[in-house]
Amino acid sequence: MISTREKVSNYVLLVIVALWVLFPLVWVLGVAVSPNISGTLDLAHPQWANFSTAWHLAGFSQYLKSSLLITGTVVTVGTLLAIMSGYAFGVLGVFGEKLFFPLVLLGIMIPMETIVVPMYYDFQSFGITDTYQGIILAHIGMGVSFGAFWMRIAFRAVPNSIADAAAIDGANSWTQLWRVYLPLARPAIFTLVLLSFTWTWNDYFLALILVSDPAHQPLTLGLGAFSGRYLVQTNFLAAAAILISLPVVALCLAFQRQFIRGMLSGAVKE
Amino acid sequence: MAVLPTRPVEVPRDIIAGSAVVRRAPRRTGRRRSGSNRRRPWLGLLYLAPALIAYSGVVLIPAVQGVWLSLYHWDGVTQATWVGLANYTDFFSDPTLRQAVTHTLYFIAFFAILPIILGLFSAALSSRKEVRGGSVFRSIIFLPQMLTPAVTAVVWKRIYAPDGPINDVLRSLGLGRFALGWLGEYTWALPALGLIGTWAAFGLCMLLFVSGMQSISSELYDAARVDGAGPIREFFTVTLPGLRGPLSVVLTLTVLGAIRVFDIVWLTTRGGPGISTITPTIVLYQRAFANPDIGAAAAIGVVLAVVSMSIAMMIVKLSEDKT
Repeated sequence: MISTREKVSNYVLLVIVALWVLFPLVWVLGVAVSPNISGTLDLAHPQWANFSTAWHLAGFSQYLKSSLLITGTVVTVGTLLAIMSGYAFGVLGVFGEKLFFPLVLLGIMIPMETIVVPMYYDFQSFGITDTYQGIILAHIGMGVSFGAFWMRIAFRAVPNSIADAAAIDGANSWTQLWRVYLPLARPAIFTLVLLSFTWTWNDYFLALILVSDPAHQPLTLGLGAFSGRYLVQTNFLAAAAILISLPVVALCLAFQRQFIRGMLSGAVKE
Repeated sequence: MAVLPTRPVEVPRDIIAGSAVVRRAPRRTGRRRSGSNRRRPWLGLLYLAPALIAYSGVVLIPAVQGVWLSLYHWDGVTQATWVGLANYTDFFSDPTLRQAVTHTLYFIAFFAILPIILGLFSAALSSRKEVRGGSVFRSIIFLPQMLTPAVTAVVWKRIYAPDGPINDVLRSLGLGRFALGWLGEYTWALPALGLIGTWAAFGLCMLLFVSGMQSISSELYDAARVDGAGPIREFFTVTLPGLRGPLSVVLTLTVLGAIRVFDIVWLTTRGGPGISTITPTIVLYQRAFANPDIGAAAAIGVVLAVVSMSIAMMIVKLSEDKT
C-alpha cells in the first residue's frame, strides 16, 4: 500500500530512534570491559575480569544477599496477600466493601514520598529501621493496593459455573481458592509476580530512607555507594551497573510477552 | 440507568424497554441465587484482614500522620510546636521550594510531553503493517524502562562526563570550547537531566500507544489512503483520535512521575549545582533527613499527594468528557 520511499524513510527514522536509545547502553558496556579506570573506551584490550573485580570491589555479595532476601520475601508474601484480598473483593465480597474498596484503591494514588517521612518515624519507634523486616513490611504494605485491584479483576473473570460446581462438591472457600480459582488466574498471578519482582528489585528510594546500615541494603544502594566511593574507577562502576541490571533484563526478555501485557494492564501503579 | 436521559439519540424506546427486562431478569434466574452462595462478606473480611493490616500500618496511618505533622514545626528530637499552615505558605515564600516548583514544569515537559511525542512517533512508525521487525525496534526502545534508576544514572553520568562521548564528538568537530561537564553546569544541568528522563520514559509511552493502535480498525487506514492522505495526515486524522484512551493513561502516568521525580535527580546531580535542578521531592528528602524540619517535609508530601490526585482526576474527567 505504501511507496518504497515512504518505507525507507520509515526505517531510517526508526533506526535513528533505536540508536539514540542503544548508544548510551552500548557505550557503557564498552566502558565496562575497557582497562582504563578513567572510563575512556578501549575495546582493543577487553578485560572480562572487570566484572568479577567490580563485584568484589563493590562488596556485592552482601548486597545481593539482601536484595534476594528482600525481593524474595516481598514477592512471596505480597503475592499471597494479593491473592487473598483479590479473592475477598472479587468472589466472597467484603463486609463494609463500600468503604474498604475505595480506601484500598486510594493507595494507588498516594505517592510513596508522601507517606515515607511519617513512616520512617513510626518504624524508628518500633525499632525496625535498618532491618530486613522494616523494608520488607514497607514494600508489602505499599503493594497491597495494586495487588488487590489486580487479582480482583482476575478472579472476577472466572466463570461462575465452574465455582458453582466446586461449591456443590462441598469444597470450602480455601479449597475453592486454591483448587479452582488459582489455576484459572495463573496468567494474572504470573504477571503480578514479574511486576512485583521488578518494582522491588529496582527500588532505590524506600531503601535509601529506611535502611542506612550497609549490611541490610539492597544492590541499588550498593551501586550508589560504589559510585560515591570509587568515583575514579569508572570501568568497574559500569561493570557493576551492568551486573545489577542483568536479572531484571533477563527476566523481561525471557517473559517479554507476559511482562509487556502486565505493564499495559498494570500501568496504573507507577 | 441515570445516564440514559443524557444520551436520548442513542437509546430508542425499545432498548429502554429491553433493558428494563434484563434488569429484572437476573433476580428470577438462578444466577443471582448461586452468586449469593459465594458472597460471604464476613469471611471475605477475614481473607482481606492481613493485607488490610499491612496497608493500614504502612500507607493509611502514615498518610494521616503526615497531614498532622505538616501543621507542626519539629526537628525530630525536641518538642514539636504548632505552626498551623506556615509550612504550606512556605510554598510561596521559600525560595528553594519555589525554585523546585518551577522546575517541576520543566520536568513535565521532559518527562511527560516529550516522551509522549516521541512515543507516538515511534509507535506510529513501528506498528505499520508494511514495516517488518517492528517488534525488534519496540524491544530496543523499551530497554531503558527495565533499568533501575541507579543504573540509568551511572550510564548517563558517563555519557555527559567531561571526557565522555558527547564531548569527544564536539572536540573532534573542532568545537572543543563547547565541551562541558553537562550535569555540572548551571545552565545545562536541567535540560541534560530532563533528556535522561525522556530517554527512560518514552519506551513505556510507545508501548501503551502500540497497544491502543491495535484496536483501531485497519479499514480506517485504508479509507484514509483512498482519500489520498499521506502518512502525516493519516496519523493526525486516524491514529491520534483513536488513541484518546491510552493517551489519558500515559499522560497521567508521566505527569505524576514528573511531579515526584527523585531517584534520577538524586543519583546524578543531588539537585545541584546549587539548587539548579532541585525538585520538590529532593527538598522533601533534605528537610526530612539532612537538616530535619519534619513538618515542612510532611507538608511537601501532602501537597504532592493532593496535586497528584487532582491531576489524575482531572485527566480522567477530561478524557471521559471527550469520548
